[in-house]
Amino acid sequence: MQEFDVLVIGGGAAGLRAAIAAKRAGASVALITKAHPLRTNSGLAQGGINAPLGKDDSPESFAADILAAGDGLCDRSVVQALAQDAVKEVVWLERMGVPFNRDGEGRIDRRSFGSNSRRRSCYTDDRTGFLVLQVLHEQFQRQGIPSFEEWFVTSLAVDAGACVGVTALGLRSGKLDGFAARAVVLATGGFTRMYLPSTVSIGTTGDGQALAFLAGARLLDMEMVQFHPTVFPKRQSLLVTEATLSEGAEIVNQKGEVIEKSKGMPRAQLCLSIAQASGNGDGGAFLDLKPIGKEKLLSRFPQTHELLRSVAGLDATKDLIPIHPVAHRPMGGIETNASGETSVPGLFAVGECACNGLNGAGRLAGNTLTEAVVFGRKVGEAAAAHVKSTASRNFPTSKLADEEKRFAAATGADSSSDTLGKVHAALGQLMNEKVGLTRDASGLEAALDGIKKLQDRYQKIRVRNPSRIFNYELTTYLEVGSMLTLAENVALCAHARTESRGAHRRTDFPDSDNNNWRNHTIVKRVQNSPQVEKKPVAS
Amino acid sequence: MEVTYKVYRKDPEKDGKPGRANYAVDLLEGATVLDGLLKIRDEMDSSLAFRASCLRGNCGDCMVRINGGSRLTCVARVSAFTQKGPEISLDPLRNVPVIKDLVFDWDAFMWNKIKAIKPWLEAQEASSNGENIIPDAELKEVRKVMSCYHCGMCDEGCTVLPVDFHFLGPAALTKAYRFVFDPRDKETKERFKTLEGPKGIWDCVHCYEADEHCPRNLEPTKRIVALRDRAFQLGITNEKVARHHNSFAASVKESGWLDEGRLAVESEGLTNISGLMKLLPIAAKALMKGKAPIPYMHSKRPDADKIKKIFEKAEREEK
Repeated sequence: MQEFDVLVIGGGAAGLRAAIAAKRAGASVALITKAHPLRTNSGLAQGGINAPLGKDDSPESFAADILAAGDGLCDRSVVQALAQDAVKEVVWLERMGVPFNRDGEGRIDRRSFGSNSRRRSCYTDDRTGFLVLQVLHEQFQRQGIPSFEEWFVTSLAVDAGACVGVTALGLRSGKLDGFAARAVVLATGGFTRMYLPSTVSIGTTGDGQALAFLAGARLLDMEMVQFHPTVFPKRQSLLVTEATLSEGAEIVNQKGEVIEKSKGMPRAQLCLSIAQASGNGDGGAFLDLKPIGKEKLLSRFPQTHELLRSVAGLDATKDLIPIHPVAHRPMGGIETNASGETSVPGLFAVGECACNGLNGAGRLAGNTLTEAVVFGRKVGEAAAAHVKSTASRNFPTSKLADEEKRFAAATGADSSSDTLGKVHAALGQLMNEKVGLTRDASGLEAALDGIKKLQDRYQKIRVRNPSRIFNYELTTYLEVGSMLTLAENVALCAHARTESRGAHRRTDFPDSDNNNWRNHTIVKRVQNSPQVEKKPVAS
Repeated sequence: MEVTYKVYRKDPEKDGKPGRANYAVDLLEGATVLDGLLKIRDEMDSSLAFRASCLRGNCGDCMVRINGGSRLTCVARVSAFTQKGPEISLDPLRNVPVIKDLVFDWDAFMWNKIKAIKPWLEAQEASSNGENIIPDAELKEVRKVMSCYHCGMCDEGCTVLPVDFHFLGPAALTKAYRFVFDPRDKETKERFKTLEGPKGIWDCVHCYEADEHCPRNLEPTKRIVALRDRAFQLGITNEKVARHHNSFAASVKESGWLDEGRLAVESEGLTNISGLMKLLPIAAKALMKGKAPIPYMHSKRPDADKIKKIFEKAEREEK
């Protein structure tokens, strides 16, 4: 058993920023992460990190763009908090070493991106997420924070209604251990791996959201799943940053004719028109990167060029890139306030696993990283402050034994031919077809039915590998369990929201219904079953 | 297509001896090597351990050797490795402690070495509230080396690491370059205390294998050479390899060719008595064969003055 003031779960951008902030606020901190920080999904963000740095820009203008993209579901005070602090955080990142591309005066350059009305996405070529992540990891190491890498958190420990730590499995040692803490910060990332294909890393499986939900926390706006418009959709879905569109790329048909004036269009709308083009028998939609110009393409988008070549076998300077919308990032997640507090005392959440009301029904392009660092700092500080005002609680002594029992029950011989991979593949297809870019009541009911059947199949599957050392069958078992828990919530909330708004498009309810649905969906666990309610949007 | 995967196995909970298992996997056209591994784990042998994360050749986690060459399994097409027959072999990287199957010890191999160079910027004091004003050209190389996704291929190709596992290696030294050449870092001189020490920049034999191996063309060897040049500029010259460089250059500058005797004693260091003593048996042997070059008793080659002028011109230009 180990003990810390603050435990941060998840080594991506939000988790690292939270850990640094909590440490600097005087708390003893440890990080637990199932993947090495530099291998996390944050590193895949490409286009930029928003901050209203321009002379023609302001926090007010930035906030207005976020509110517009959020389509009526944003919490205004949270939006303003982000818009106010974005410059401070981006300047901090620059001072800590992010080598942002510069303008002619040597200041941080900004590019146009998505539906931002100003040039405000600061960038490092097309590797912004990876370089921001690296610098956060550098500063994290500078703080000397203990880092439990390749440790998989298996449950939250709750005592008298409060979160008092976690149990985690060390993949290398094979040891299950308890970590007591007065504050636990979940920063475990999104859940879009429940969709296949999706744009995310293999571990983006919603572990934190599922742990929080099972521990009694509420989930907000789970139906809001953003699809990314410009993804090469073959076996490995390869995202091409939307920033290419603002730098001149066009969406065209097979003949190379422009089918969509894409500049400045919100993501959801862009996705729909690309999906439409794919459906009308015209050979689908393509991204034409040639208008950017070869020199600029190679210097500003070197990674895009490299990955298209190695993954897709395409030459971005010559070929048209087939594209299709693919599940990208959720807006919904664990319900929190601006300080990251969840409905469970001692449990905090930040970044993509959380939903604090910033993104509403649609996330503004370039805001993922801004959200991670602005709220990563705030939540890290809030967790450290919470520690000072909270008496130490007891880590329930039976917790580790309970987890051991659970694993023992899940492990054993299994003669059936059903597997976790087959269940996951079926779930991915089901979510894509029935809970995808467009939805309707009968499809969602079929999805709920299908998810139930997959949950039944899952219950029968046993982990065959009895070892604990680098037992990826066991971790996959836990991940697939998380995805099945969350998928049901996504489908339930999508079914409940009988309107179209932001990323949620109902073909049977094509219009927004402001009378009934200026509301969030809230889902909580009541007697082992999810229950959906409405929550008014804070004005 | 059916392909036989011949996979390196090692189980730390059994005898820990390496072996190999064969799996016949049915795969779709265009499948990646990782697709096959995932299928094996899911349907055939759930104990098989291998890593993967980003699924698009962008993070380095799934690096193994496929048919002997280091590759990322998530972007390697099976069809590219089965041209000689429907089988592929998979092994961990060379010269790396293996934990289980294809899972090796990244900490010992790379992360701990990167930690050893203090991989964080020590920021200059802020002169204003805003960002540092820096021309883009000064950050271009830093940005380039920071695109390193830590796949370990440079360390795998390194010819020093197989004989000295404790050498910091090209990955960690390339990370050091990122700080030494970042105009925002104030610790340059401090950093060289580690970099010029044993297992640091002087242990590189500049075989350029790291540059051959780097999939992002970041030229790690070139970065190590740049660190050495920087060390010279900072006056860090009291190290055997640095003394060797200086002595070599001084000799050619003065006489037009190499004074081998001088090079030997100056490389060891004129005050390094024990080092010089070690040279004595070699000198004695050479003397018996009539080949002993007496240090500093060295005649100039014809037109040595011209060579000296070349040196002087280069030195002026460097300033």
